[in-house]
Amino acid sequence: MKDMMGIIMADNSELRLNELTEFRSVPALPFGGRYRLVDFILSNMVNSGIINVGVATSINYSSLMDHLGSGAPWDLNRKIYGLFMLPPYVRGGVSDISAGSVDQLYGVLTFLRRSRQQYVLLASGRTVCNMTFDAALSQHIEKGADITVIYHDKKEKDEQLSHSTVYEVNEDGRVTGIETEPHFPKTTLQGMGMFIIGRLKLIELIEDAYARGSHDFVRDLLRNAVNTLNVFGYEYKGFVGTVDSVRSYFEVNMKMLDADVRKEIFGAENRIYTKVKDQVPTQYKETSQISDSLIADGCVIEGKVENSIIFRGVHIAKGAVVKNSIVMQNSVIEENCDIENTIIDKECTLRASKRLVGQPNYPVILPKRTLL
Amino acid sequence: MKKAECLAMILAGGQGSRLGVLTKSVAKPAVPFGGKYRIIDFTLSNCIHSGIYTVGVLTQYQPLELNTYIGSGHPWDLNRNSGGVYVLPPYQSAEKGEWYKGTANAIYQNIEFVDKFNPKYVVILSGDHIYKMDYAKMVEYHKEKNADATIAVIEVPWEEASRFGIMTADENGKIVEFAEKPKEPKSNLASMGVYVFTWEVLKKYLQNDEKDPQSSNDFGKNIIPTMLGNGENMCAYAFEGYWKDVGTVQSLWEANMDILADPPAFDLHDNNWKIYSRNPVKPPHYIAKGASVTNCCVTEGCNVMGSVKHSILFEGVTVEKGAVVEDSIVFPGSIIREGAIVKKAVIGEEAVIGKGAVIGDENTDSSKYSSPYCTGGISLIGGGVTVSENEKIGVNSMVVEPGQKGEN
Repeated sequence: MKDMMGIIMADNSELRLNELTEFRSVPALPFGGRYRLVDFILSNMVNSGIINVGVATSINYSSLMDHLGSGAPWDLNRKIYGLFMLPPYVRGGVSDISAGSVDQLYGVLTFLRRSRQQYVLLASGRTVCNMTFDAALSQHIEKGADITVIYHDKKEKDEQLSHSTVYEVNEDGRVTGIETEPHFPKTTLQGMGMFIIGRLKLIELIEDAYARGSHDFVRDLLRNAVNTLNVFGYEYKGFVGTVDSVRSYFEVNMKMLDADVRKEIFGAENRIYTKVKDQVPTQYKETSQISDSLIADGCVIEGKVENSIIFRGVHIAKGAVVKNSIVMQNSVIEENCDIENTIIDKECTLRASKRLVGQPNYPVILPKRTLL
Repeated sequence: MKKAECLAMILAGGQGSRLGVLTKSVAKPAVPFGGKYRIIDFTLSNCIHSGIYTVGVLTQYQPLELNTYIGSGHPWDLNRNSGGVYVLPPYQSAEKGEWYKGTANAIYQNIEFVDKFNPKYVVILSGDHIYKMDYAKMVEYHKEKNADATIAVIEVPWEEASRFGIMTADENGKIVEFAEKPKEPKSNLASMGVYVFTWEVLKKYLQNDEKDPQSSNDFGKNIIPTMLGNGENMCAYAFEGYWKDVGTVQSLWEANMDILADPPAFDLHDNNWKIYSRNPVKPPHYIAKGASVTNCCVTEGCNVMGSVKHSILFEGVTVEKGAVVEDSIVFPGSIIREGAIVKKAVIGEEAVIGKGAVIGDENTDSSKYSSPYCTGGISLIGGGVTVSENEKIGVNSMVVEPGQKGEN
């Protein structure tokens, strides 16, 4: 797919993720034991043959930059195109940092103009799925669409739908209505935060929206476009996990314990790439007891782990019990701790015999580098 | 080209025939080790940690896998504009073309390569040892002693000394005698196959050695004794720490088990001396309900439903429900089917152990697959081999192909 480029919008505007996004953007959120959310969209783009990817950042993007580096794990360290970090653009002392996605896109116009691909895939970097965009692009071209929105059918009206973008699509695939964060959503078609647009069309739309003082791509630009342009929907039928709150972060992570989901996401021919850490294999000691858990490299496990996701370099000491929890990179859980329904962020230390218990639908968060 | 003070040449061309079926289609340095490494990763990682950024890897036997594995050298940060890693197979030149006749000849044939970098010192290494060593310290020692050659030595148990090249050194560390596999060793300082040479001196000896038709063009047999005989300044550099030559199935198995000891005899958990390798693109490993994993090393992409005890699982290994793996090493991508039992074995890459099969069964006549390479009760299943359902394979067996006697 040499004729499509990618832009990942790395925003921080997600308040429902609480402490998890205090120091990092949403795409930089650690996920699934050894990944960050951005790995999925980036790998999907690369697996679709996209070789020109810009990552538009807003604030706190150092962890994202550190993770992406030169783009080598995704084979995006290239001479011809490759990976481009696009930090917020400051114009005459006025920055776009706190403004919306339209302002963010306005800041990347130069990158868009300099690129030569005919189409752009605009994506949010908070969706967990393993897909390629060939079929969506074919449909986009075939329908003569100006904008194609990629969505999936959630089948049921749940809490998450009420903080998503929800589409109404007619039998021709044309988008007839858009709702953002509806209290009572009309349909169950949840947007995946992915859009295909012609590059020149996108430049034109951004310039226009910016000139009118619009800030939000979906609320202002896209909703308006439904009435004036050809906006079509493309339905993706595979597994989709959208991370937009602490609860969904927890749930989508836990979905990875499901063999079928794991197979679809990680067992497919198209791989999900991430930064390599050269960790040693995980060591299990005499006293370890593990059940239904996903455990990354570099851990030392002496305690009991049940129904959990353990990131790289975690140490769980003797007598400690970790149940239904997520423990991020390099955290240490000392002897006889009791952890349940908890998200332990990176580099935390729990001294011996600590107890931390949340609710299944309301996990406790231990922020990064907490010493308890 | 920028002058490198020091350049490393890794001898990686040997077949390692005593590893039996494990080196049937790959050279010894490419044999998997320690859950996610290949043997050569240790030497390459040592180079980068020692600040040696120009490395030649001399390949000959079954080089394809090794060549692909090393690639541009980026896993070891050896993809560089100045220096970097170079794979050096034997080549055809205008006058003649020949295989590497011996370790010294391999370097001789690449004199031009070394000269291009114009180094003051050359470190000669083997690609088949497991150890962590700072070569920079040894080069410092070499300089301090104003030596022509410095040989790293390690104390070995006296009873094993006759298996090694044994050095006798005086109180200043100057080597006074060298004996290759002596029947009655005078010292227990064994050569580790790690040499620092002053390049100018070595080059001269390599050229002279090449002119001698009687020579087997080997460092241990020819170059070292000749230099010693000519009274060159040769020093022994004592190395303390873990070092293992994994030339046999048993030593390979033992070295792997050394990682599992508590505390480990060989510690890979050292953030200041990481061993780099080509990492697989696999998710974290999954351990199912009802599985049991104790005293193990498990890496990415594994699926464990059965019971694994005191073993090492490489990437992407599946252990199905009811299967038992004990005291074993399972190479990448292998599948241990339901109810199978694997005891004290090395399972090659992508092998399949059928339902209910038993590997390393004490009660089965082991003559069917017996092999001189498998001793100490260890069994070896070749890469890609499928062991059929309920088949029982005795101890000390080597299965190259089912039904075929393990003679490789």
